[in-house]
Amino acid sequence: MGCEIVTVSTDTEFVHLAWQRHEGELADVKYPMGADPTGKLGRQFGVYDKTSGLCLRGTFIINPQGVLMNSEVNFYNMGRNIDELLRKFKANVYLSKKANEGCPSKWKDDGDATLTPGPEMVGKVHEALNG
Amino acid sequence: MSKPKVGLGREVKDFEINTFDPKTGGFGRFSLAEAKEAGKWTVLFFYPADFTFV
Repeated sequence: MGCEIVTVSTDTEFVHLAWQRHEGELADVKYPMGADPTGKLGRQFGVYDKTSGLCLRGTFIINPQGVLMNSEVNFYNMGRNIDELLRKFKANVYLSKKANEGCPSKWKDDGDATLTPGPEMVGKVHEALNG
Repeated sequence: MSKPKVGLGREVKDFEINTFDPKTGGFGRFSLAEAKEAGKWTVLFFYPADFTFV
């Protein structure tokens, strides 16, 4: 899956380096850590809080054409679920190839049941989901 | 909070930011235009601050 993951905060790349080398929990981090000290990128995505100078926990999935396909913003004290992010990422990749299908909430991976909206499904979503 | 300049289903304006890359241990730069040219998806993961939980 061709994918660039970039983590971003208003810290500089120098602070990122210090944190990654210091914090044992980050020993296995492989992703580039983006520096947004002016909050310019955070403002573009609507997650920059000018009263604190920090960014909220925003996650954004952009397709290879540069189109924003998914966004989620959590408040400061609300952590994210990486399994749900992965699920949404996989679903977006899947749907980019099968635009007429829909991934229901329980869809997890390629091969799981999808929905194809159409006249036959009107009033029959329960049957479509449960076979 | 600032009003987003992006929207679902709309093209994101190209941007570039400086990075620290733990894989190389050095500094680098991420460019959305380059990711697009390489046919790659991009996941941006904002968090408030280093030395806190993510």
